[in-house]
Amino acid sequence: MSDRNASSRAEERSLVIAAQAGNGEAFASLVRLHQRRAYAVCRAIVLTHEDAEDAVQDGFLHAYKALGRFLPDQPFGAWLFRIMANASLDLVRRRKVRDADELPETIAMPFRDPGEADELRTRLKQALAKLGERQRAVIVLHDIEGFTHGEIGSMLEIPEGTARSDLHHARAALRKLLQDFRPPTDDE
Amino acid sequence: MSDLNLFGDDETTRGMRGLYAAPSGQAYWNELESRIMARVAEVELGWWTEFDRWLKPALFTAAALVIMAGVAMFRTGQSRNNADLEDLFAPTSVAGAPVEATARPTLQGPRDAALRFILSR
Repeated sequence: MSDRNASSRAEERSLVIAAQAGNGEAFASLVRLHQRRAYAVCRAIVLTHEDAEDAVQDGFLHAYKALGRFLPDQPFGAWLFRIMANASLDLVRRRKVRDADELPETIAMPFRDPGEADELRTRLKQALAKLGERQRAVIVLHDIEGFTHGEIGSMLEIPEGTARSDLHHARAALRKLLQDFRPPTDDE
Repeated sequence: MSDLNLFGDDETTRGMRGLYAAPSGQAYWNELESRIMARVAEVELGWWTEFDRWLKPALFTAAALVIMAGVAMFRTGQSRNNADLEDLFAPTSVAGAPVEATARPTLQGPRDAALRFILSR
């Protein structure tokens, strides 16, 4: 297992070096390798699937431009996901400014799924939208994507302890927001 | 993994997984990759890429030129000062005041002609 990890790290390193030398195909391989995880990081921070797509594209573009400054001996994933997190936070801030200008009293809602009838999903969306972006990111990255507190801290540029306490507060806030909700049973 | 056990089961976590699930079809990821690479290609084709490539060497050259010009100016100023000092302290080779050569005026006009006549006698 560790041999496989080491070989994939070595392969990634050679792709990074080739991409730094201007090899477009090597960069495309890095995109292919990391885009799913990058999407998950962005999706944890922004509110909609469409924004996550935009953030992923912005993030890869930033990464491409900054590739010359990356040291190939560092873990590429951690560096890339930090860029993704920053791109997502930028997008959230831009959206906030726009929403504040356009709809001052409404809560930004995630994209509408036409087939959605599940009340829990709707309530969850609303509750998650009410959390701060950092708390939402921490709870999704930890509980859904399985990142560690340390990885989340590195991504969001906060101490590990802050990530830990953000997670605690996010869970408490979600519990409070959903406390009156009981999922409908099959009998209802 | 999650402590969000709100309803006695992992309902919330499952709900969140559903909300945050990434698209699963390979076609979606191929398409996203194409979009990302298209944006990267836009950056590569831009004039600023060429500009960016030349920016660093140009800055280094400009910095070197400024330093060289500064050194040259400093040296010129210093040699000028030295020359001025040498002039100031150099011994003067004058034995007396400089002689001013004056031309003897030639006598002209009717008065001068009269004077010339008297002197010739």
